[in-house]
Amino acid sequence: MSEAPSVAARPGSRNLVEVVLRLREAGVVVFLVVLGLAFGLATDRFLSVQNLTTVASSAAILAIAACAQAIVLITRNLDVSVGSMMGLVAYLTADWAATHPGITPVEVVAIPLMIGTVLGAINGLLVAYGRVPALIATLGTMSLYRGFTYIYAHGQEVTSSRLPPWMLSSVDARIGGLPILILVSIAIVAVVAWLLHAYPFGRRLYAVGSNGVAAWFFGLRAERVVFFAYVACGFLCGIAGLLYAARVGTVTVVLANGWEMSSLASAVIGGVSVSGGSGTVVGAALGAVVLATIDNGLVLLRVPEFWRMFIQGAAIVAAVAVDALIAEAIRRSTGGRRR
Amino acid sequence: MSTSAKRQLPLWEMALVVAILAAGAWSSTLSPYYLSVDQLFGSTRAFIIPGLLALGLAVVVSLGEIDISLASIIAVGTVALSKLSAAGVPFAVAAPIVVAIGALCGAFNGLLVAKWRLPSLAVTLGTMGAFRGLAFIAGSEVGYTDFDDVYLWLGSDYVFGGVVPVSLILFALAAAGVWFLMHRTGYGRRCFSIGLNPDAAWFAGVDVVGVKIRAYALAGALAGAAALVWVGQYGSARGDNADGSILFVVTAVVLGGMDINGGRGTLSGVVLALFLLGTIRNGLGLANVGGPTQTVVLGGLLVAGVLRPAAAAAIARLSRPAKTREARAQGE
Amino acid sequence: MPTVAAEPVIPAPILLLRRIGKSFGPVRALEDVSFDVRPGRVHGLVGENGAGKSTLVKIITGLEEADEGEVILAGRAVRFRTPIEARNHGIAAVYQDPKLFPHLSIAENIAMGAYPSGWFGTVDRRAMIDTAREHLARVGSDLDPKRTVAGLSVAEHQFVEIARALSSDVRVLILDEPTSALTPTEAERLFAVVRSLRDRGTAIILITHRLEEIEAMCDDVTVLRDRRHVATLPRAEVDRAKLVQLMVGRPLEALFARRERPTIGEDVLRVEHLSLDGVFDDVSFSVRAGEIVGMGGLVGAGRSEIAQTLFGITPPTAGRVVLKGVEVAPQSPKQMLARGLAYLPEDRDRDGLIMPETITHNITLPILDSLSHWTVVDRAGERRLAESASQTYRVLTPSVETIVSALSGGNRQKVAFAKWLATEPVALILDEPTHGIDIGSKAQVHAMVAQLADRGLAVLLISSDLPELLAMSDRILVIAEGALVAEFARDEATQESVMMAAARQRGGKR
Repeated sequence: MSEAPSVAARPGSRNLVEVVLRLREAGVVVFLVVLGLAFGLATDRFLSVQNLTTVASSAAILAIAACAQAIVLITRNLDVSVGSMMGLVAYLTADWAATHPGITPVEVVAIPLMIGTVLGAINGLLVAYGRVPALIATLGTMSLYRGFTYIYAHGQEVTSSRLPPWMLSSVDARIGGLPILILVSIAIVAVVAWLLHAYPFGRRLYAVGSNGVAAWFFGLRAERVVFFAYVACGFLCGIAGLLYAARVGTVTVVLANGWEMSSLASAVIGGVSVSGGSGTVVGAALGAVVLATIDNGLVLLRVPEFWRMFIQGAAIVAAVAVDALIAEAIRRSTGGRRR
Repeated sequence: MSTSAKRQLPLWEMALVVAILAAGAWSSTLSPYYLSVDQLFGSTRAFIIPGLLALGLAVVVSLGEIDISLASIIAVGTVALSKLSAAGVPFAVAAPIVVAIGALCGAFNGLLVAKWRLPSLAVTLGTMGAFRGLAFIAGSEVGYTDFDDVYLWLGSDYVFGGVVPVSLILFALAAAGVWFLMHRTGYGRRCFSIGLNPDAAWFAGVDVVGVKIRAYALAGALAGAAALVWVGQYGSARGDNADGSILFVVTAVVLGGMDINGGRGTLSGVVLALFLLGTIRNGLGLANVGGPTQTVVLGGLLVAGVLRPAAAAAIARLSRPAKTREARAQGE
Repeated sequence: MPTVAAEPVIPAPILLLRRIGKSFGPVRALEDVSFDVRPGRVHGLVGENGAGKSTLVKIITGLEEADEGEVILAGRAVRFRTPIEARNHGIAAVYQDPKLFPHLSIAENIAMGAYPSGWFGTVDRRAMIDTAREHLARVGSDLDPKRTVAGLSVAEHQFVEIARALSSDVRVLILDEPTSALTPTEAERLFAVVRSLRDRGTAIILITHRLEEIEAMCDDVTVLRDRRHVATLPRAEVDRAKLVQLMVGRPLEALFARRERPTIGEDVLRVEHLSLDGVFDDVSFSVRAGEIVGMGGLVGAGRSEIAQTLFGITPPTAGRVVLKGVEVAPQSPKQMLARGLAYLPEDRDRDGLIMPETITHNITLPILDSLSHWTVVDRAGERRLAESASQTYRVLTPSVETIVSALSGGNRQKVAFAKWLATEPVALILDEPTHGIDIGSKAQVHAMVAQLADRGLAVLLISSDLPELLAMSDRILVIAEGALVAEFARDEATQESVMMAAARQRGGKR
């Protein structure tokens, strides 16, 4: 109890919230460094240039999927059809390329982007305009998209020999010693981060996720914002699906199965809040690097693969718990009610 | 929209009955054996495992929460049973232990959701991976198949002249029990009231945290029971048991008329939806339609199921002024 | 003290409302409201809760569409579809509970909807921050625009919202109870800003239920009652008594029949040194059987919080609660209900009732266990109980199976009463029990409360309605800034003395 004027009350909570919100990515980086050092100490094979490149390559595509997931999460929604979208896009593109030998690079890029956008738009229509809860809607389309892939494929896979060679070699090419795949991924994350940071549309994503009621009172069209978030998510899944297909060469119907989990885990670990309004795609991408590092480290340490699923799940729960603590601090500082 | 809410549901249940009959009629044109008693009872085995999960999920959904980790709890249960079997524990002792393990897993979810107030979707998405990971870690890679016949009894045996599967009786008992719990006891009433308005329920002296934890524990226990049936049906226990079956479960609950936002729905609707989905799946099987197409049909039905209230609301909006937009914005 | 500019010229109105009407389903929300708003003047909009003020604001700002009538802005009929559109035409509103985006910076909150654009259509952050600083300065605030909104105090929120309203070229500024959560000093600062805006020619609509604010600030007053327009008058022509009469529809004295001298018994609820960190501090009082203890204070003073702590919603950080001689540590409503304490929440529709449920299910929810045999709810018994309770409390309804949301505000409140009294409490806390209900029901509620006290119940009555508080209470406690600052016996209390005590500030004479 002090004599201070009440306008300036509660400096503590304010600082805490601000610091935590601002430093979440930094926290992920610190965690990543600690993790890297730990693995480095545990096995000398971890900190080799070759191994780190492997980690980065496997993180590259996941980072894009995590970005896609993050955009939807920021609006306080969710997309569990990410893996199915990638799988369908990858299969249709590979199949098209295999059956059209004269295909040009422009087509190879344009087709998956278009398909991804359409798939995302379907999700967006259901969630934003159909008012179907995001989980249910995308759980439905997750099985629709994957099922459609199966039906279309008739159990066949597209082998790498049937794809244009340049399609496969382009992702393995290196510029300045770095694989193109990694550079492309960094570029995409950077562009999306910039779009979300600097453009009014990006800011509206945050606004809608931050406080839906305020958005309504303000006059923002939340439906439209959410719809386009899903479209953007589908578009990025198109890119991720294409890169995945090019990287593995042989495209099967189960490609990217389970990526809805990994993308979500990456985003949440990277500080994107499942309750909307906070987090960045850079954080989500960093989260993808964390997951890839853990995967790699476990392999090097000969820990059975099963641990991966457990760790991923536990990481989601832990990240969500941290998130809830922060949300609680924000609630307290804005004088909101508990229940 | 006010007073009509209660009367809508029987209508929906009627529609489900009609749909079941139609699907059955269609199936009977595909195979002359379809309408035999053996085949009808036998075919129910296909949805008993997801059915047990759906009963538990319905309770969780009535609270306005969700649990998508239930299929992973089956894997924990089957692996636990394999350990008990390997240790030579008699089934009569092992079975309750597995159910209790399921309940513990569920209670863990409930604790995170109710006590720590974490969003149930994200939490159970996490525990979905964590539980299955645990099952993999605890079990062996190749799986365990050396179950004694006694262990298989629940999932594979038939009674009443070898016609009625034991598991069907288990399901019927569970369904009746959960129906009774939700529609006749104070506990069920509290669940629905929490689903409609957790604040007001808390103010009215409802122990929201306790009710929620018990609901999750019940769902977990039913998943444990489903694990017993699983082992009986497939004779094996492995970390990937029942992977991916949550889609069927969620579809049944949503199609059965449970409001995914909580507070509304009936267990009879859920059971009817299970029969409908089972009949459709059986029919598709008879028509030689492959698994992937079945999945697509399932996904389509799920989306249709959730769009149903939205469509009804849209029709209502056209005929009379909607509730305020503010209320809708706040409902999100 | 403010001086109203010399009278001669009354400027032509900028905003005209003509016969505005609105319904939500079967409920009439607004009927036949017409008045003019003029630039350079503050137009007070008063009425009891539920009189239709908020609906009117929503219609003007494009949040709701009017079913009837028109809004004319600067000579042209307008019909905004969103608040953004309204803002672009110079109409902006600031609400009592701030509507900002907590995760975004102050500057972004101010710029949202009209971002200054830099190259390639990006947000020009520097310009955004500069403009925000400028607008904040206009409202006399030196907040750092780069700060995140989460963590601001309510007053700071309020100033950010006004700054946001100014960022568009605002011609009509609507303030919806802007001071309800502010301290007097903060409120004075806010009004200084409002005056300077007025002097620069902005038309202001001020919604408030503090009559002294009407006297201090307004040039014109419009009164709404029961969702209808009652009168629009120059402020100079109405005094407080007249205003109250217009608002409630009859003279003040006629409203409340004062209770006969009650017979007061033993302490039922005793509260000793109760504290909740950062919310209220060291509160001690007692309520005796048959006694109605009033609790007055400004909105946000901590009265509801004290009540909710007693009821176990948020457990106290220190202090003792003694109910009927037995000490209890409030942990949950369930426990407190079992101990014989019931609480009628302030926000009836959110906390008090489950709106989409039937009357029966609402009334019996807290007592399901006692209505059950072997965990099975006795549905016939439940219905009988609900029927007799809704008769006792005069709920007007075709059947107890009616959904509560289909009832009027007054009838909902009676259902809430029936629900809490079905628990057979020994002490009852009423938090704004007549908030937003019609006059007829209000009188019934008052009679009911008096009757309950006569039957020996200990009643703690929280009310912001001073005449109600004065008429109903046997004793009045006043809470200011989380502390018990005054206690008045029934005969010492006057509107002025209670108001004075309520407005007292911490750090002052305490």
